[in-house]
Amino acid sequence: MGVTCVSQMPVAEGKSVQQTVEILTRKLELLGAEKQGTFCVDCETYHTAASTMGNQGQAGKLMYVMHNSEYPLSCFALFENGPCLIADANFDILMVKLKGFFQNAKANKIESRGTRYQYCDFLVKVGTVTMGPSARGISVEVEYCPCVVANDCWNLLMEFMQSFMGNHTPGIPSVFGNKHDSIYSPADSMVQYMELFNKIRKQQQVPVAGMR
Amino acid sequence: MADGVLSPGVNLEAFSQAIAAIQALRSSVTRAFDCLKDGMRHRETLEGREKGFVSAFQDSLHSVSRDLGELERLSNLVGKPSENHPLHNSGLLSLDPVQDKTPLYSQLLQAYKWSNKLQYHAGLASGLLNQQSLKRSANQMGVSAKRRPKAQPTTLVLPPQYVDDVINRIDRMFPEMSIQLSRPNGTSAMLLVTLGKVLKVIVVMRSLFIDRTIVKGYNENVYTEDGKLDIWSKSNYQVFQKVTDHATTALLHYQLPQMPDVVVRSFMTWLRSYIKLFQAPCQRCGKFLQDGLPPTWRDFRTLEAFHDTCRQ
Ligand SMILES: [Zn+2]
Repeated sequence: MGVTCVSQMPVAEGKSVQQTVEILTRKLELLGAEKQGTFCVDCETYHTAASTMGNQGQAGKLMYVMHNSEYPLSCFALFENGPCLIADANFDILMVKLKGFFQNAKANKIESRGTRYQYCDFLVKVGTVTMGPSARGISVEVEYCPCVVANDCWNLLMEFMQSFMGNHTPGIPSVFGNKHDSIYSPADSMVQYMELFNKIRKQQQVPVAGMR
Repeated sequence: MADGVLSPGVNLEAFSQAIAAIQALRSSVTRAFDCLKDGMRHRETLEGREKGFVSAFQDSLHSVSRDLGELERLSNLVGKPSENHPLHNSGLLSLDPVQDKTPLYSQLLQAYKWSNKLQYHAGLASGLLNQQSLKRSANQMGVSAKRRPKAQPTTLVLPPQYVDDVINRIDRMFPEMSIQLSRPNGTSAMLLVTLGKVLKVIVVMRSLFIDRTIVKGYNENVYTEDGKLDIWSKSNYQVFQKVTDHATTALLHYQLPQMPDVVVRSFMTWLRSYIKLFQAPCQRCGKFLQDGLPPTWRDFRTLEAFHDTCRQ
């Protein structure tokens, strides 16, 4: 696993989500990227149940349980700003048993699905982010596989993203900031997806022009 | 015509007798094996069967040894072909009447001339190189100068302890580079060089001479299933395949036959410049990527980063 940057691509003016995805993938194919199947990242939200909260009346913390088709045998459980747990895939069954402590906010389930592309040593995943039945936005994940230290290859990653995202190239992800020269891990990617999903959920409340 | 050439040294009479003797020997050997193959024939008693077999086999062995003796006697009479020709028997090629179709003889002469010339020049070169030799190899030079077959390149006969010392010194020279030395296959050392968190290099050595090098990613496996260093498979990443190519080029560039330790040190110094493989933009075009690859070339002298196609 290399270093990954997850970002959101805004929907092009006057276009649908689907059309914007097509424009993006066509650019990638022109660049010489090759299609390599599909991918999916999903995220479920859990509230800490009322019974477990102390009588201080503080708001419950949110926990996110996520899956990534790149790691089909694993399940990721994250708190916002908190630790990230990487468990076996049957962690989901455990969550069902823990119903009394964590309640699944089913309506909040969000996922990104799309095509996986390879270009040289880069992996690019362009996905449509959906919540319930409707498309909410576009995620772009770019991984530079040979490198393991995020800050070593940020400039290189950015130059690559500029080649097909133009002026929508994102800034340096916040998870890079506190990594110094430690090794980038799959959990860092999941944190980025969690942050992206949270951002898109909030956008949902204000309908954006151009989205259907 | 053939008679005229062969006759001075060869007794033709004995020659034809010898051929007949070979035929006789072959048939008696065949008989001996036939006898073994057929085994014991039907006789009334077991004893009779054994006796009959042993005597038949004895007879056939006797005739084999008789025929062999005859052949040996004749072969002394045949005599040796003439050795007057400077190219010995190959000189007979010049007698080939179809010279135009098979110009073997002239090609042979040409090859002979070349090989003579090569030997001469190699001798001169060896003399020149020996003038610059280091103290520790001077002894050997003095002794074996006359005896060609013994004069091995000095780099191949250094004691393992010396190799260890040189590698240890290099290891201490570069803090961001760690070198692990092992000898899984006898005296030849193998190095696993880890450069920061960027890459790993497997270096196969013969004495202090670098034979082969493979560059892989920091997160790639460098061992085979049985736990040995995997010196055959290449990296999964294009960038490290490219760096492997360049490292092989570097091995050819850094050559100083009489000072192998300097060669290893220069190579490692060059290799160390890859610590910024993903961070250094190309010194010519100023970009990080070209065709999806970072600047994978490092100048041998200045150690500056260039894309493969941006170097001079
Ligand atoms: Zn360049």
